[in-house]
Amino acid sequence: MAEIPKPKVGFYGFTGCAGDLLTILHCEDELLDIFNAVDIRSFLMASSDVHDDEELDIAFVEGSITTDHQLESLKGIRKRSKVLVAIGSCACFGGPQAARLGCGDWEKRFKKVYGEVKHTVAEPRESHPLDEYVKVDYCIPGCPIDKHQFFFALTRLAKGMPVELTTFPVCAECKWNENECLLLKGELCLGPVTAGGCNSRCPNHNLPCVGCWGPTSEANVASEINLLKERNFSAEEIVNKLRLFGGAAMVRRFADLLGIKTEEPAGKPRQKKARKPVAAGKAKKKTASKSPKAKSGKKR
Amino acid sequence: MKALKLKKEDLYAYLESLKSYGELWGPVPRGERYVYARLTNVREVALQALRTILPPKKFFVPPRFNMFRYSEDRYTEVFDDVKPRVLFGLHPCDIHGLMILDELFLERFPDPYYRKRREATAIIGLSCIPDDKCMARSTNTHAVEGGFDLAFNELGDEYLVWVGSSLGDDLVRLNLDLFNEEIDAQDLQKYLEWRRKRDSRYKLNFDLTGMPDIMELSWDSDLWQELADKCLACGACSMVCPTCNCYNIRDVSDLSLESGVRERHWDSCMNKEYALVAGGHNFREARAERLKLYYTHKLKAFITEYGKPSCVGCGRCIDTCPVNINVAEVIRALKGQEVKV
Ligand code: SF4
Ligand code: SF4
Ligand code: SF4
Ligand code: SF4
Repeated sequence: MAEIPKPKVGFYGFTGCAGDLLTILHCEDELLDIFNAVDIRSFLMASSDVHDDEELDIAFVEGSITTDHQLESLKGIRKRSKVLVAIGSCACFGGPQAARLGCGDWEKRFKKVYGEVKHTVAEPRESHPLDEYVKVDYCIPGCPIDKHQFFFALTRLAKGMPVELTTFPVCAECKWNENECLLLKGELCLGPVTAGGCNSRCPNHNLPCVGCWGPTSEANVASEINLLKERNFSAEEIVNKLRLFGGAAMVRRFADLLGIKTEEPAGKPRQKKARKPVAAGKAKKKTASKSPKAKSGKKR
Repeated sequence: MKALKLKKEDLYAYLESLKSYGELWGPVPRGERYVYARLTNVREVALQALRTILPPKKFFVPPRFNMFRYSEDRYTEVFDDVKPRVLFGLHPCDIHGLMILDELFLERFPDPYYRKRREATAIIGLSCIPDDKCMARSTNTHAVEGGFDLAFNELGDEYLVWVGSSLGDDLVRLNLDLFNEEIDAQDLQKYLEWRRKRDSRYKLNFDLTGMPDIMELSWDSDLWQELADKCLACGACSMVCPTCNCYNIRDVSDLSLESGVRERHWDSCMNKEYALVAGGHNFREARAERLKLYYTHKLKAFITEYGKPSCVGCGRCIDTCPVNINVAEVIRALKGQEVKV
């Protein structure tokens, strides 16, 4: 049997905690298999990838974009990658650093935190998810990502197949795990509006879901807010919780409900129309034809 | 069907002897609720439990399991978790729920994964006194005439034990000395009295005759949109319902890319992607349509096809939905409101 070229893969990280890349690095039992399945061309925990100019089949990108320099790197990665996958909630939604996205006072907030500083390395900008600037083929959310969901996506892409991620909210898995419902017990649980796939990690430990996987395609945020208000949570508390990890996804889809005026900070215009963050279903056709067909010759 | 008696004080001894048949499972507390769990210590069994978070369907169609392992040239079915088991403490509604699943998974298109698990399992029922969320009398699932191997009916300081199958007979013989075969007129009186007491305790009583007609006439009702505005589409109502049986499958490749598993997990018609088909069309994109499907299945389509509702009145949806959408509310709304025709 002829040797079939493995898909060329790159891993990159922008502004985030590196938790997603570390999740992958910590797969000690599977790491060798990952290296066998794909040809890893770069695995950068920093954003100094401008010199890296090789064509890639798949790029996995962690972190949000917070400087002009990162934006240029991201565009470069996009240009030379057939499939670009955002990994982790920072790359997908902007991360907690995007919790105040859309408030329009970013420069003021920046000065309050850092003071009047001269930017020597790169020009900062408000945190945005990757799809604010480039086309993202798949979003694998999570804070951090779940390794099984990552393997699932990796193997699908390596075979040139579309990736269908979990479409249920956290509640479905929470019931599979037979947890007592924390929302019914009066806690502020975001399980019903949050994308599943984490195996309801937090409710399994008696902690309410804080929404770290971002909203589901069907999130009924209006009803969740009403319900929580009935449970005597303040509007501010509810909105802050929803925005903490929901970032751009919340702003784009539910600005009205959250009382957000979607003004963009001056000089940083949104580049395209809002897009649903987890666009697996929609992206299917396009990416299927673009995906590396590494194994296509290998049929019995 | 034959009846025997067992002294309450002998229950634990009998449960202990059931372990020689297989793993013993029964309800145990989880916080303020209950779940079916393995009873290594028989005294852990929660005899007072009314409804468990998940119904016993979890034993026969686990929420998530591997159907088979595949490689490039073969596949091997996975039945690792299939072993002889005794489930103790199923209430009549849950036994009816299982009988509905039997019709769906064993009759026209037998499902080997369900069948293997079902055949390895003995079912022991336990009588109950309803609470304010039970509506099994309305669905006529408050008593059992079959669908079990043994059924225990609490009667003062004794259990009346019905033997419902030859396996049930074998189970009695595991510790025959504990049972008393003498049943007299007094027992009958006590039993009838107990039945009257049980029946009088139902707080939810609905006349479900002609429900398919009412559903039909409510097709364009505003109710569905009103419910949809509240519904979180979380799917919890399907997960906990003993008769919801939809599932999805997906192939999960190993990193070798040469082998993997076919995985099967519960699905729900409340999930937006449930009726999404190749090409991108979604037959029930609107939440209102999906809610209507759920309740059509419970209160109309199943009745038309099988002559009974596919709601067994267990009250789990009442206990589970965060925004209080459940079968009792829907029936109330449908029967109370003016319907558009
Ligand atoms: S605890 Fe949270 S995630 Fe679990 S069912 Fe309740 S609302 Fe959903
Ligand atoms: S339960 Fe919620 S907060 Fe916890 S890991 Fe899952 S999505 Fe994140
Ligand atoms: S449990 Fe309630 S909120 Fe969740 S899908 Fe069912 S009806 Fe909707
Ligand atoms: S619809 Fe509700 S009450 Fe009826 S069987 Fe299902 S969970 Fe139980």
